[in-house]
Amino acid sequence: MSIDNNSWNPKIIVFACNWCTYAAADLAGLNHLQYPADVRIIRTPCSGRMDPMLVLRAFNRGADGVLLSG
Amino acid sequence: MKKRVGVFVCDCGTNIASVVDTGKVAEYASTLPGVVYATTYKYMCSDPGQELVRNSIQEHQLEQLVIASCSPRMHEKTFRKAAEAGGLNGYMFEMVNIREQNSWVHPDREEATRKAQDLVRMGVSKVLRNKPLQVATVPIRKKAMVIGGGIAGMQAALDIAEAGHQVVLVEREATIGGKMTQLDKTFPTMDCAA
Amino acid sequence: MVAVAQHPNIELRTLAEVVKVSGYIGNFDVTIKQKAKYVDWDLCTGCGTCWEKCPSKKIRNEYDLGIGLRTAIHKVFPQAVPGKPYIDAANCTKLTKGKCGICEKVCPTQAIRFDDKDELITEEVGAIVMATGYDLFHWEETYGEYGYGKYPDVVSSLYFERLVSAGGPTGGKIVRPSDGKEPRSVAFIKCVGSRDDTKGKSYCSRACCMYTAKHAYQVKDKIADSEAYVFYMDVRTAGKNYEEFYQRSLNSGARYIRGRVSKIYPRGDRLVLKSEDTLLGMPIEVEADMVVLATAMVPSEGAAELAKTIGFSTDKDGFFQEAHPKLQPVETFSAGVYLAGACQGPKDIPDTVAQASAAAVKVCGLFSKTELATEPMIVEIDSDKCSGCGFCVPICPYNALSLADLSYRGHHGTATREIAEVNPSLCQGCGACIPACRTLALSLKGYSNEQLVAEVDALCL
Repeated sequence: MSIDNNSWNPKIIVFACNWCTYAAADLAGLNHLQYPADVRIIRTPCSGRMDPMLVLRAFNRGADGVLLSG
Repeated sequence: MKKRVGVFVCDCGTNIASVVDTGKVAEYASTLPGVVYATTYKYMCSDPGQELVRNSIQEHQLEQLVIASCSPRMHEKTFRKAAEAGGLNGYMFEMVNIREQNSWVHPDREEATRKAQDLVRMGVSKVLRNKPLQVATVPIRKKAMVIGGGIAGMQAALDIAEAGHQVVLVEREATIGGKMTQLDKTFPTMDCAA
Repeated sequence: MVAVAQHPNIELRTLAEVVKVSGYIGNFDVTIKQKAKYVDWDLCTGCGTCWEKCPSKKIRNEYDLGIGLRTAIHKVFPQAVPGKPYIDAANCTKLTKGKCGICEKVCPTQAIRFDDKDELITEEVGAIVMATGYDLFHWEETYGEYGYGKYPDVVSSLYFERLVSAGGPTGGKIVRPSDGKEPRSVAFIKCVGSRDDTKGKSYCSRACCMYTAKHAYQVKDKIADSEAYVFYMDVRTAGKNYEEFYQRSLNSGARYIRGRVSKIYPRGDRLVLKSEDTLLGMPIEVEADMVVLATAMVPSEGAAELAKTIGFSTDKDGFFQEAHPKLQPVETFSAGVYLAGACQGPKDIPDTVAQASAAAVKVCGLFSKTELATEPMIVEIDSDKCSGCGFCVPICPYNALSLADLSYRGHHGTATREIAEVNPSLCQGCGACIPACRTLALSLKGYSNEQLVAEVDALCL
């Protein structure tokens, strides 16, 4: 199986804790660190808020990858 | 609650607009369900920017706001106040981060613009489900406790007490003064420690 | 000190420790353990008859680092505040063996209370300032090259302070611990435990460069024809008038040698210090009568447990963690708890005073309001859906959830059942309880399932 990197854009959903990961993503921005634009961040008040249901929902709707970080 | 969303896309000078086609994002936003008004502005956080928010709420009878600009950790409170000044509940507002988590980290204009559109769509979708929230208050007991009776604790206790508030100073030894009382003269003035 | 004791707004509690803190900013309940003093301080006049007559006279005086002796009933030092004595129970023969009681007989105001007990007191306060200070690094446990504390004439800087202090046990005369003679030459070693990753701490203790400059100057000043050697890694004098003070010490004749002392050993009744002079690039040997170690500042004993009790964090070295190193240097992550002095990190007196005043201003700023707005993005409970299982209660890190009785109208009149209840002041809106709720009765305002699902769906379009 081969994936043509030029035409395929994966959907990566990130659930980021407001106090650490979301702040870290801001810091990455502040330092202009480049990363692929396929990443979409959803802010959560804490990684404790994460419900497995949300991960399953993302995959169910076609997400190619889910990152929980907190 | 009526669905009347206003979307404001910030250029942040060139911080956002140099990478993200903000005009295109606003144009896209205006096609989203529930959105009745979408625009761009050079600096949303500036006085005229906030005025634009206030006036637009009145003019277009907006019920929900989405502001796509910098990180909410930066200006969420600013825009919440602007929303309230325009007559909305401050929590009928969502901020979309297209600077720290977009224009500053992605060089490709097309990809960054597409991401900004996705994020605005996310913000609109969420804000349509927001509910007005009320800030509650709790009373404050105007009495302080200082734990430790060395220089730091004594100074803090005295300053608070001088301001007219009650202070409880807790010290585990039998005397206050801490390490300071064991010292002889102290630098750089060589005055005595006690 | 006296100003503190006499201030009408300050209630002083010595021999007391904080054991429990509950509540939140503006509304803390602090439980304090008031330790037994065995003396009624309301009756005691501090006349001193008791400690003069106390027969247990041979107790090591910790305050003077063992230079002198003290009695079981004692004041920590003559100018102690409050100026009242207490009984050190472990060393009192009446309290340990039931015999003696002389202090009780001689006390002119009948203030002795052998039946005194520790008691718990609860204080209701709105803000807490942490000012627990520092301890000195225990060099004896790690620095074998300096003799593990085996040579009596190798002492700490604090010990030296007691020697030079006019109010100290020697009346300000510098003498050697081994024979009580005045030393001709004194060597100082800086950074003992500081800036030493292998044996001590990686950080700089900040005050040692300056107090060592002071000590060297005092040796030159107090002892005629004396020598003061200072072994250093760097001389750090970043403070107003600090560099000038250091120059004064140099000008007095103190000899600064750049190098780490690798070994101290006795020769006759003197001590030999082996080092390298890194500026000359050659090994050197210095003979001294006495060696003073500038030991690192470390967090005070019990600081980490206290931070845990109150609910904020400590840094990698065990000092209290400020909310932001530059922008919030006196706040903690626990709202309403502020930091002052060396408990936050090594500090000298000017910086300590500045931070203490800053903490006081934060408290006064808080107290300038009568009410405090609370964050509305907190958990709400649908009482119809809540089964009262209680799963959520232990999950809450802020103890904001509990089970409470709910009265409702049933088929046979009013009945009650248990459901979860949230304390809106304690809830921080983290939402950790939401995934635990099996009946979907809990919802986090601003981050409801509906809202987060809408975000996921919108992004996955």
